[in-house]
Amino acid sequence: MSMVSKNKETKDSCKNRKKVLIVGNPNVGKSVIFNNLTGTYVTVSNYPGTTVEVSRGKGKIGSEEYDIVDTPGMYSLLPITDEERVSQKIILSEKADVLLHVIDAKNLERMLPFTFQLSEAGLPVILVMNIMDEAEGLGIDIDIGKLEKELNMPVVPTVSVTKKGMNFLRHSIKNYVYGKPFDLAYGSSMEEKIAAVEGLLENNYPVSKRSVAILLLQNEMEILKTDENSETEITGIKKLIAEAGESYKHSVNYILNLKRYRTATMISEKVLKHGGNSKTGFAERLSLITMNPWTGLPILMLVLYFGLYKFVGGFGAGFLVDFLENTLFGKYVNPYVTTFVQSLIPWVSIQNLFIGEYGIITLGIRYAVAIILPIVGTFFIVFAIIEDSGYLPRLAMLIDRVFKKIGLSGRAVIPMVLGLGCDTMATMVTRTLATKREKVMATILLSLAVPCSAQLGVIMSLFDKNFAGLLVWVSIMFFIFLFVGYLGAKVLPGEEPIFFMEVPPLRMPKISNIIVKTYTRMEWYFMEVFPLFILASVLIWIGQITGIFDILVGLFVYPVRLLDLPDKTSVAFFFGFFRRDYGAAGLYDLNGAGLLSGNQLLVAAVTMTLFLPCIAQFIMNVKERGWRTGVGISIFILFFSFIAGFILNCLLKVSGVQL
Amino acid sequence: MKCSFCGFEFKENEADKSCCGCVMAKKCRLLKCPNCGFEIPKESEWIKKIIRFFGKKLFPP
Repeated sequence: MSMVSKNKETKDSCKNRKKVLIVGNPNVGKSVIFNNLTGTYVTVSNYPGTTVEVSRGKGKIGSEEYDIVDTPGMYSLLPITDEERVSQKIILSEKADVLLHVIDAKNLERMLPFTFQLSEAGLPVILVMNIMDEAEGLGIDIDIGKLEKELNMPVVPTVSVTKKGMNFLRHSIKNYVYGKPFDLAYGSSMEEKIAAVEGLLENNYPVSKRSVAILLLQNEMEILKTDENSETEITGIKKLIAEAGESYKHSVNYILNLKRYRTATMISEKVLKHGGNSKTGFAERLSLITMNPWTGLPILMLVLYFGLYKFVGGFGAGFLVDFLENTLFGKYVNPYVTTFVQSLIPWVSIQNLFIGEYGIITLGIRYAVAIILPIVGTFFIVFAIIEDSGYLPRLAMLIDRVFKKIGLSGRAVIPMVLGLGCDTMATMVTRTLATKREKVMATILLSLAVPCSAQLGVIMSLFDKNFAGLLVWVSIMFFIFLFVGYLGAKVLPGEEPIFFMEVPPLRMPKISNIIVKTYTRMEWYFMEVFPLFILASVLIWIGQITGIFDILVGLFVYPVRLLDLPDKTSVAFFFGFFRRDYGAAGLYDLNGAGLLSGNQLLVAAVTMTLFLPCIAQFIMNVKERGWRTGVGISIFILFFSFIAGFILNCLLKVSGVQL
Repeated sequence: MKCSFCGFEFKENEADKSCCGCVMAKKCRLLKCPNCGFEIPKESEWIKKIIRFFGKKLFPP
C-alpha cells in the first residue's frame, strides 16, 4: 500500500538517484505500473503553475534506488491539453535514465507513432506492452522479439494489475543500455526542412535536436521558451516554418503523422497475428462487417430504417407528434390561449403576435414543443444508442471508404457525421481539415446535402406513410451528395489523404447512459431552439405589420410555382432560412392539411433539404470561409436546390410515376 | 471525459479552449473534443450529481 500525500512540487535534492519516467496514453495502466515500482512513500503534487497532478515516488530496483515519475496521460509529444503540456515539459526538462512508454497491447498500431516520437527524441525508451491478458483474450499474438528488432529497443509484455511481467520490467530497467534511436525518415523534402531547422538551433536540449526541429515544424514554438534563444535564431526558425507550411498541400503536422502511422501499420503487420478466439471473433467479425462497404451499407440501411424511419418517423413523428399537436395543442392549449389573448388584448395586430397563423404560441411554441421536440427527442435516443454501442466511429470508417471511392478526403467524415446533428457546429469543425480545398468542399456539402437532426426527423415524419417516397428521397440525396462531392474533387483535385481514428470495441449500450445522453442533448437543443422559434415568430409578426414578410415570401412564389407546388409552400421555404427544421415543420403543416400530393411532397422535401443553409449556418459559412465564398455557396445552393427540384418534378411527370 | 467519437480523453475546461474562436462560445452548452471536434452536450449539475451518486458501474465512461 502506498501512502499518498498532497504537497506542493518540491525538487528532490538527491541528484545521484537514477530517474524513470512513465509516459503513455490515458487508461493504459501507467499508475498501476507506477504503484508496482514505487515503495511506500509517494507524493502527488500539482505541476508548478498548473492544476495538473504529477505522482512521484522512489522504488528499489535490484540494489539501486530510483526516482519514479508518473506523468499525466498524453497522446503525442505535440500537446493539445494541459496534461499533455505538463507531460511534455517533464520529458523535456527532467533527464530520464529510463523512459517507460506504456501502451495498451490491444492497440499497438495506434500507439506506436508516439513510441517513434520518443525514440526519435533520443530518449532511453522501454516499450511496456501492458494489458497483455486482454490482447491475448482477443486472440492477438505479438512477436515481442521481432518488435524489439524493428524498434531497436527493449519491449516488455506486462499485465500490471496482476503484476505479471513486473520482475522482467525491473530487470530491463536495471540492465538498460541505450541503443540507436528508431530511424524514421520522412522523405527527402521534409528531411531537408528538418535539417535546416536543426542547423539553426544554437542551444542544447534534453532531447535530440532533430526532435526539437520536428516539433518546431509542427508549430510547437513553446519548446523554444525553455532556453534562451537569440532573435536571429527565432526569426530564422519562424521563416523556415512558414516556408514549410507553404510548400505542401497538407499541413506539416499531417504529413509527419501520416508517415508515422504508415510505419506503425507496416510494423504491426509484421509482428501481429490475430488468432481465432470464437467469443471475441464474433465481435471482431461484426465490427469488420459494419465497416466493409458491401455489408456495412446494408447494415446502415437497417439502422436508418428501424432507427430513423420506424422509431423517429413512426413513433416520434407519428404517435407523439399526433398526440402533442392534435390533442394537447389542438384541443387544449391553442383554444384556451386564443380565448385568453382575445379577451385580454383588444387589438388584432397585437393579438397576432401571440395567436393566429404565425403567433408565438400557436406557431413558434407549437412547432418547438409539439413537432420538433418529440422528433429530436426520439432522434437523440437513437443517436445515443449508436454512440454508446461504438457504432459511430465504425460509421465514420464506412463513410470514409465510400468517400475515398469518389476521391474525397477521409477526414471530412467527422464534420459530415456531426452535420447530422447540427450543420452550423459541423461547419466550424471543418477548421480541422488540412487544406482550403477540403474546407470549401465540406462546407458546400454540409450546406447542401447533409440535413441536420431536426430537419432529418421532420423529413422522416413527412414520409411516415409513404415509404417509397422516403426511398426516393434518400436515393436522391445520396446521389446529389456523391455527385457534388465527385465534381468538387475533380474541380479541386488534391492528394488522397489517409484517415485515422480509434475504433473502440462494440458493446451493448447501457440504458443509464442512453437516458443521460438523450436528456442532456434534448435539454441543450430545447434551450437553444426555443428562443429562436419565438424570435422567428416575432420577426414574422414585425414583417407582417411592415409588409416585408409578404414581399419576401412573394419572392419564393415564382420558383415554387415552377416546381408545381402550392403557393403556400413559399412560406415554408422562407421559414427554412430561419432554421432548417422550422421550414420542414412548415411542410409538415402543409402535408397535414392535405395540400401536398405524394409527388409534390417528394419535390418539396428534396428542394427543402437542399435549400439554403439556415441563418446561423450562413453566418458560420461567412465567418469560416469569408464573405465571397460564404455568399457564393449560398447563391449556388439557392439555384441548385430549385433546379434539382425542377428536374425531379419533370422526371416524375414524364415517367408518370405517382408516389 | 472521453470523446465518444475518437476516444480522446480531456477535461471540460480543455474543451472550452478548442472553440474559443466561436461567436457562440460563451453561451454554448456543447463540449467540443479538442482532438476531433466532436460535440458532446454539457451535463447539467444535477445529472453530474446522479452520476457521482450511482458511480461508474451504472454510468461507465
